[in-house]
Amino acid sequence: MEDPLQGDFPEVIEEYLAHGCMKSIAFNRRGTLLAAGCNDGSCVIWDFETRGIAKELRDSECSSPITSVCWSKCGNRILVSAADKSLSLWDVMSGKRITRIVLQQTPLQARLHPGSSKPSLCLACPLSCAPMIVDLNTGNTTSLKVSILEISNNGPTPASRNRCADGITSFSPTAACFSKHGSLVYVGNSKGEILVINHLDGEVRAMVPIPGGSVVKNIVCSRNGQYLLTNSNDRIIRIYENLLPLKDEVRALDDLNERLNDLNVVEKLKAVGSKCLTLFREFQDLITKVHWKAPCFSGDGEWVVGGSASKGEHKIYIWDRVGHLVKILEGPKEALIDLAWHPVRPIVVSVSLNGIVYIWAKDYTENWSAFAPDFKELEENEEYVEREDEFDLIPETEKAKTSDVNEDDEVDIVTVDKDPAFSDSEMSQEELCFLPATPSCDAPEQQDKFIESSSKLVDSNNSGSPFSEEAGPNEHTMNHNLSPVEDDAGGLRIKRKRKPSEKVLELQAEKIKKPSKSSKSSKSKIKSLVDEDDGNGFYGDALSDE
Amino acid sequence: MSTATEFKPYSLSQTLSGHKRAISAVKFSSNGRLLASSSADKSLRTYGFTNSDSDSDSLALSPMQEYTGHEQGVSDLAFSSDSRFLVSASDDKTLRLWDVPTGSLIKTLQGHTNYVFCVNFNPQSNVIVSGSFDETVRVWDVKSGKCLKVLPAHSDPVTAVDFNRDGSLIVSSSYDGLCRIWDASTGHCMKTLIDDENPPVSFVKFPPTPSSFSLAPWTTLWLWNYSTGEFLKAYTGHVNSKYCISSTFSITNGKYVVGGSEDNRIYLWELQTRKMVQKLEGHSDTVVSVSCHPTENMIASGALGNDKTVKIWTQQKD
Repeated sequence: MEDPLQGDFPEVIEEYLAHGCMKSIAFNRRGTLLAAGCNDGSCVIWDFETRGIAKELRDSECSSPITSVCWSKCGNRILVSAADKSLSLWDVMSGKRITRIVLQQTPLQARLHPGSSKPSLCLACPLSCAPMIVDLNTGNTTSLKVSILEISNNGPTPASRNRCADGITSFSPTAACFSKHGSLVYVGNSKGEILVINHLDGEVRAMVPIPGGSVVKNIVCSRNGQYLLTNSNDRIIRIYENLLPLKDEVRALDDLNERLNDLNVVEKLKAVGSKCLTLFREFQDLITKVHWKAPCFSGDGEWVVGGSASKGEHKIYIWDRVGHLVKILEGPKEALIDLAWHPVRPIVVSVSLNGIVYIWAKDYTENWSAFAPDFKELEENEEYVEREDEFDLIPETEKAKTSDVNEDDEVDIVTVDKDPAFSDSEMSQEELCFLPATPSCDAPEQQDKFIESSSKLVDSNNSGSPFSEEAGPNEHTMNHNLSPVEDDAGGLRIKRKRKPSEKVLELQAEKIKKPSKSSKSSKSKIKSLVDEDDGNGFYGDALSDE
Repeated sequence: MSTATEFKPYSLSQTLSGHKRAISAVKFSSNGRLLASSSADKSLRTYGFTNSDSDSDSLALSPMQEYTGHEQGVSDLAFSSDSRFLVSASDDKTLRLWDVPTGSLIKTLQGHTNYVFCVNFNPQSNVIVSGSFDETVRVWDVKSGKCLKVLPAHSDPVTAVDFNRDGSLIVSSSYDGLCRIWDASTGHCMKTLIDDENPPVSFVKFPPTPSSFSLAPWTTLWLWNYSTGEFLKAYTGHVNSKYCISSTFSITNGKYVVGGSEDNRIYLWELQTRKMVQKLEGHSDTVVSVSCHPTENMIASGALGNDKTVKIWTQQKD
């Protein structure tokens, strides 16, 4: 059952997470865990439900800032790239590092192959040379071609593979991403061309020129593989529709190549390219002409989100896929450095320059009809026309109130309903969806004082989210009694939406009065929202005792 | 009273005594190796199987640990999914987290302002939900013990709380006659279920596998589909007018609904036909809690103060 009010896009900052200085974030496939790479080389895994730290991945060999974080599809592995040119593969459950590879250049981005559950291949985009496929077991790298000139000139000699053939491109990073199942890599080069490359041999199979030919900064595939997004230096985000079949991409490409064999190399690549991708939409801000940063799709591909790359502002633009700008989220005045949309919920997470992770969610308006099922919410006033017999003493229509439910119908209590958001059910056996939570011990002498119980936490928990409140009716005062440390942190709270709680309280006071209840109960209900010290053991202890 | 041709009657196989006052709850762990009971005598006890034989005739439970520390009687308890931890809800307004094998107290969760009446872990066991006489439902972070949410759930004591099998929903029931369903991650109310006459709801529970049904007694035991809000089946014949008696599903050998009763018996009904197939006798006071073993055909029951025992019932093997 879904919350009917969720399913759109976020609107306000719900909470923030602080732990060290976080740089790069990634959700696991189900959105239950959020991994964040930090400035000190460690990677923190947050339990997204409790907003607490579930695990820390840290090793003495890496103390340079993390440049990117990537989960394997089944959630068992995390690949981390760092500024010391290394790639580290971690086993999430045990928190142990599986392997570490040092490249020739710092990889700005590293992505695990999405097709398998224990991927050994990854795609790394180094600082200033061609993206490469790295075999994590052997350390072998296969560079991908980034320019079709290389091909039409019968390719450079193997020795120059790691250098870009075109001198102009050698100092700008090239963007690349895997297709949904990983058999292809989409590369966006500095000439504004999208190259479709077979990941096994690094050879270009198709080329799509982007109008304007600007350097491509980011290239991202939507989760369902149907759309591709490019972010170019000309400040435009472009959405392409993927025309290839998702499962047999390579074969379809080969077929196309066969059929167009009579053309010369470049013409053929362009022709095949036109059958792979077609330009769908362009997004730009015509007024401010802002550069974009970290653009990505929402989990269902319905929304596109991009951060403003302008210094000193933390702005997130949300468009629907058709191109309408639906929202601009404005955060505190700290530049945005990374962005991620939750895989299934309308939540966006952004990282600011000073290392804080902000969680943006929908601004919740209370669904009153959920509390009182006899009532139905109306958008606006409706004229009510009485029924003919409405005021009769015994209205006809109210007589037979028998339920038309057949009690003899079979009821199925064991069949599992598949979640449509996760179509690859074959993964679910080995999938890691959550990390087991081990409660941290209270110190013996302080077990009866609840103030202490939170400050007794292990360090990592202290740096967890100090505020677990949400905007809305559940924004309760329960944390206000906690230790002074957390009260001081209250000064840092920025743009927390407080208004709804007052409004909500008023409305609740009016609406949740049930006709059959005495005024005592509705008063105590309101009291419990505002003031914790309700309840005087009013009710007799009839049940736990004889 | 068994009328179904395939139904094998249960019979008493063991009685476990030790608690000094009324039992309030009994629960099997999800790995099926432990049984836990809570009592008004302020303690919890666990019992383990002594025999690792697969022959269920020789499966016997023996007392393993006692968990003391609560200052008042305990009303409810729950195992974490990996059976390593127990959480208990008490009249001393706290919840306590215990380490199962050693019996030591790990954590005390404070925040409720009145008796805590019911508690459950979510399937991931990173979160605990509790319901209290202070009319609220609270969601707690297991790792840190922090209260994550306070739901303004009801206008009367909350009698039961449960998570559905993927942990996305919380259901709560209360004396105010309502059952409410909440989104576990946001705390928003999704639905309210109300019976015409508004009688107090004493218990509610989701079935063991993900589906849209749950069980709730409003003096009669109702099975309802919470997505549509329809009441589907009623199970009657037992007596339940004073106490909050738990009921559960038995799915190990055919599908049944099992519930305790104030006439000191345990009632078994066939899930689909609603026919009562057996009444188990043996307790000398109201049977206030029942639990079904996850894999064996075994029922555990606990009764109030005149009785103070936990009884184990198994089906005869042919």
